Amino acid sequence: MSDRVSDGPNDRAPARVPEHAPALRVVGLTVPFGDQPGLADLSFAVDAGERFVIVGSSGAGKTTLLRAIAGLASVTAGTVAVGGRDVTRLPPERRDAVYLHQAPVLFPHLRVLDNVLFPLRVRGVPSPVARERALQALAAVRMEGYAARDPRTLSGGQRHRVALARAVAARPALLLLDEPLASLDPSLRDDVREAIVSIQREHRPALVLVTHDLDEAGLLADRVAVLVDRRIAQTAPPAELFARPATLAVARFLGVANEVAGRLCDGGRFECPLGVLRPGAAHGPAGSAVAVFRPEAARLTADSSGAAGHVVALRHRAHGTGALVRVGAAALEVPVPAGRPPAVGDAVHVAVDDAQVVVFPTEPGAAGA
Amino acid sequence: MSRRAAASAARGAAVAALALSAGGPLLLLLLWSVSRDWFFPALLPPALAGDAWEQLAGGSALARAALTSAALALLCGAGAALVAFPVGRAIARLRGWRRHVGAAAAFLPVAAPPIALGTGLQFFFLTLGLGGTAAGVLLAHLVPAAGYLSLYFLGIFTAFDARVEDEARTLGASPAQLLVRVTLPMLRRQLGEAFALGFLISWSQVALTLLIGGGVVRTLPLEVLAYVRAGQDRFAAAGALALTVPPLLALAAARFAARRTAVVAA
Repeated sequence: MSDRVSDGPNDRAPARVPEHAPALRVVGLTVPFGDQPGLADLSFAVDAGERFVIVGSSGAGKTTLLRAIAGLASVTAGTVAVGGRDVTRLPPERRDAVYLHQAPVLFPHLRVLDNVLFPLRVRGVPSPVARERALQALAAVRMEGYAARDPRTLSGGQRHRVALARAVAARPALLLLDEPLASLDPSLRDDVREAIVSIQREHRPALVLVTHDLDEAGLLADRVAVLVDRRIAQTAPPAELFARPATLAVARFLGVANEVAGRLCDGGRFECPLGVLRPGAAHGPAGSAVAVFRPEAARLTADSSGAAGHVVALRHRAHGTGALVRVGAAALEVPVPAGRPPAVGDAVHVAVDDAQVVVFPTEPGAAGA
Repeated sequence: MSRRAAASAARGAAVAALALSAGGPLLLLLLWSVSRDWFFPALLPPALAGDAWEQLAGGSALARAALTSAALALLCGAGAALVAFPVGRAIARLRGWRRHVGAAAAFLPVAAPPIALGTGLQFFFLTLGLGGTAAGVLLAHLVPAAGYLSLYFLGIFTAFDARVEDEARTLGASPAQLLVRVTLPMLRRQLGEAFALGFLISWSQVALTLLIGGGVVRTLPLEVLAYVRAGQDRFAAAGALALTVPPLLALAAARFAARRTAVVAA
């Protein structure tokens, strides 16, 4: 972001951002939900040019967090710094952070080009420069041919792309996207996701995106933060997060479907109905514990190796079929080989890839515990 | 006659009756405004005269009253819209009991009969030295007009997409830029309608003008009333017809400007 310079007399963005400062630093942020206790003591930082995705279940406070960063929701404690500048007490227009709603919000009284020119005009950027930048931004989202159109005549995906172009036209340090793909048909999601990635690569704002869709997070994020119980429970690159959830609550949120109760022994071994496992990661002291792993970490064996069980149900999904296998007290979901599904009631054997297993201390309510 | 033809004829008769009930009195007024010595049982006026219209067009009391009415109504329409726009917006942003109290406060001057409102305002305005002045009458007209328009804008801002303003702020617009570049342009038509509504409230006001103006401030409705009481039907009819012009123009404008209300984002 160090190439950002003031373009006009009213350009309120800082002239230069220190090279070492993260694009966004949130420290101890506490945000109420109306009269209810809300987000508590959140801290994280996002580097310039980074794509940072916050995931959490519906109602977890993801939108509230974005709005607080944007200056649209009040905070009761903590600080928000954009580009090294404390903006906690500044109004939204002076934060250098653009917030985009879930559904694109275009000004209905302005043509597409004038929509994209809007942030430049309010900053007093001279007309020729503003026009050139707006057209560049439209071109970056492949909407340059729609400059003269009334935004009400655009399709949903096109509106998203124009909203993105408008957001980056002013070259903000920070782009805040609130579930940008949630309202789109699956066919349009790829289109808009590609536009987000492409425009972010070109203009390099730090991007903070919230979603409840883990696939979306995995596809877009450099790092993912998981919001559980009003706090950030874990922050990690997607591959690491999905492979190594830090807590049982995070594992459950991530939909790591299989849980097996057992005992964590000294030396890292885990004894359970599946046998003795050597988990890829183990948290907590020896004793009563829960092993979690994704269905993909388990397989039905053809040769009676692995733990014996029987199929209690079949689960058919768009990306494949899984068998719910009862092994001792645990019910495990295991992918079924294409074309050879077992029947409900069949006796089967289940083997697990130990390296993909993570063990946590037992918490109340753990399955099979 | 088939059943369908009978139904069609009945519909035609109903529309004709409606048109006659609306247009008939206006036509009669027009005829009356140019008639001379037209008494029962004559079906048509025996002679015509244009002096009532000449007076309305010239510098007579009727013309002066029409000008006073127009000036008061223009100022009332603009003033009430100016006051009601932020008031309606503020009430729309309130939640729970505060919103109900705000809406009730705006509704009070609308619900109160003008004669009751005027009686209450009279004492207050006389104390302030505004009795019998155009300024006093204007302020009195503003009370119900601002109430009506506050309720009107409450409805508008309840439907207004607040996300538009949020996004404009984060795009860099100051509150003033937001108002000038986003909110006002988006609500241009609604502002026009509000102005017209405020204009019409003042234009047709009788009780408040009489009570606060004390007969000194002469508006067109008061002149028409005076002509009716004096039995000068030709002048009363011309004045009454002049009174109908702004409402008809407002209706026509509303009819032709009835486009999609852009209070939501594209």
